[in-house]
Amino acid sequence: MMALPPLRQSAAPSLRMTIRSIGIAGLGLMAVVVSLTDVIARVPAGTDHVGPPLTPPSALFQFGTDLFGRDIASETLHALAVTVDTASLAMLVTILAGGFAGFVAARLPWGLGFLLRWIVGVLTALPPLFLAILCIGLSNRGLAPLYAGLAASPLAFVRAFDRARALGTSPHADYARATGVSAMTLLRRDLTYELREGILAVAARALAAVTIILSTVSFFGFGSAPPNRDLGLMIASARETYIGAWWTAAFPIVALALLILFARLAAGLEEGERP
Amino acid sequence: MFGLGLLGAWILAAAVAAVPAHGGYSLRTALVRLADFARLDFGASSISGLRAAAVVGERLPATLELLTAGAIVAFVVGIPLGVLLGRGLRAAAPLIQVVAAAPVFCAGLGLLWLSAHALRWTYAPAPLPWPSLAEGGRAALLALGALALPGLTVGAAGAAAVQLAVRRAESGAIEEPYRHGLRLLGLGSFEIDRLYLAPQILAGMLARFGEIVLTLFSAAAVAEWLFGWPGAAVLFLKSVALHDWNVTALVLLAFAVISLVADFCGVLAARALGGVP
Repeated sequence: MMALPPLRQSAAPSLRMTIRSIGIAGLGLMAVVVSLTDVIARVPAGTDHVGPPLTPPSALFQFGTDLFGRDIASETLHALAVTVDTASLAMLVTILAGGFAGFVAARLPWGLGFLLRWIVGVLTALPPLFLAILCIGLSNRGLAPLYAGLAASPLAFVRAFDRARALGTSPHADYARATGVSAMTLLRRDLTYELREGILAVAARALAAVTIILSTVSFFGFGSAPPNRDLGLMIASARETYIGAWWTAAFPIVALALLILFARLAAGLEEGERP
Repeated sequence: MFGLGLLGAWILAAAVAAVPAHGGYSLRTALVRLADFARLDFGASSISGLRAAAVVGERLPATLELLTAGAIVAFVVGIPLGVLLGRGLRAAAPLIQVVAAAPVFCAGLGLLWLSAHALRWTYAPAPLPWPSLAEGGRAALLALGALALPGLTVGAAGAAAVQLAVRRAESGAIEEPYRHGLRLLGLGSFEIDRLYLAPQILAGMLARFGEIVLTLFSAAAVAEWLFGWPGAAVLFLKSVALHDWNVTALVLLAFAVISLVADFCGVLAARALGGVP
C-alpha cells in the first residue's frame, strides 16, 4: 500500500497563521470598502469634469483627476468594486470547475475520468490568459468572469484529480472498501475532509489567479466595458497619460496589487513551500 | 502522455480553426479542418488573405527571441533568489509575495515609467525590418535597446516563476532522510548540499519547466502588447479580436507544442538528474 504524502509540508503554525490572518483581514477590509463604495465615493462611476483635467493629488482631489477631469479616488473605488464582484464570481467557477470537478472526475467509472483528465490536461499546455481571451473572442465579453474562472481551472482540476486518485488507493480507502463502504460514501468523506482542511486556501489562491487574469484581459480590451470599468481597464485607459501624470495609473495599480496580495497571503504560503 | 498532449493540442487547434466567421458551428466543418490540419494545411488568414502558416511563421521568431531573453533573465535572477529565499532568508520569503502581487502589465508600465523618468529614455520599438543582434554595430545596439524593456518584463515574470519552482523543489528535497544519514556518516552540510541537494533542487525545478514556459508566454503577450513588439503573442490577441480563427488556431497550436515540448524535455532532464520518480 502506498503511503500518502502530506497535503502540505510541516509548517511553523504561528508564521503561517500570522500571514493568513493578515491576508484575511486585508480581504475583509476590502470587502467593507467595496460594500460602502457608493457612500465613500464622492461621485458616481464615470462622472466627467469633476475637476480640471490631470490635476495632481491635492487636498481637494486626494488621488488627483484624469484626462477627463474624473476623480481618480472615486473611479478607483468603483473599479475596485467591479473587480471584486467579477473576480468573486470567477473564483466560484474555478473552485467548482477545477478542484471540485477534478476530485469527482477521478472517481468516475469506465475510464470517463481519465478521458476528462486528458482533455483538461491538454488545456494546461496553454496559458490561462490565452484560454480566457479565446473563449471571450468566441462568445462575448459579458461572460468574461465565467471564462476567466474556467481558464484558471484546468491546473486545479488536474491537481485535484491526481490527489483524489492517490486518496482512492490509500490505506483508508482500501479498509473502507473492504468493510463495504460504497464508492459514493467514500467520495463524500474524502471531499468533506478536503473542503474542511483546505477550502479557504484554495478559494484565496483562485481569487488571486482570476483577479490577475480578469484585469489583464480588461487591460487588453477583452473584459469590462465603460461605464463599469474594472481596475484593468482603468489602468489601460491611463496608458496615454501616466508617464507625465503618474497618479492616473498608480492608485488603480496599488488597489489591484493589494487585492492580489491579500488573496495570496490569505492562501498562506504557496503550495509545497516551507514557512 | 506527451504524444496524447500533442494530439489534443492538434484537435483543439482544428476545432478553433473550424469556427465560422458568421453562423453556427458545424461538426462536419470541424472534421474537414481536422483533416486539413493533419495534412499541415492551416488555411488562410481571413484578414490579409495570406497563408496562416506564413503569417504566424513571420511573427514567431520575434516571440522566441523575446522568450529567450526573458528566460535568460528569469534563470539568472530566479535561481539565486529561490535559493536565497529557500535557505538563507526564509523569513523574507513571504515578502516576495508583495513584489509578485503586481500583474505583469503593471510591472511593464512601471518599467516604462522608470525608463522615462530615471533614465530619461523614451522607449520606442525598433524600426522594421527588425534589426538583429547578429548584424553587429548600430543594428545590434538598436536591437538591444528594443529588447531591453520587453525582455526585462518577461524576465521579471519568469524570475518569479523560477524562484517559486526552486523553493518548491527545495521544500521537497530538504525533508529527505538521506541528509541526516549522510551527516551521521561524517559529511559536512555544505558537501551534502552541493553533491546531493543541489542536483535534486535543479531536477525539481526542471520538472516544472513547462509551468515556467507558460508564465513566459503570458508575460510575452503583455510585453508585446505594451512595447509594440511584433511577435506571435500579440498576433494572437489581434486575430481573436478580428475573428481571424485560422491564425488564432495556428498560434495556439505553436504555443501548445512549444509548451508541451518544454515540459517533456524538463521532465526528461529531471529524470536524468535523478530527481523525479
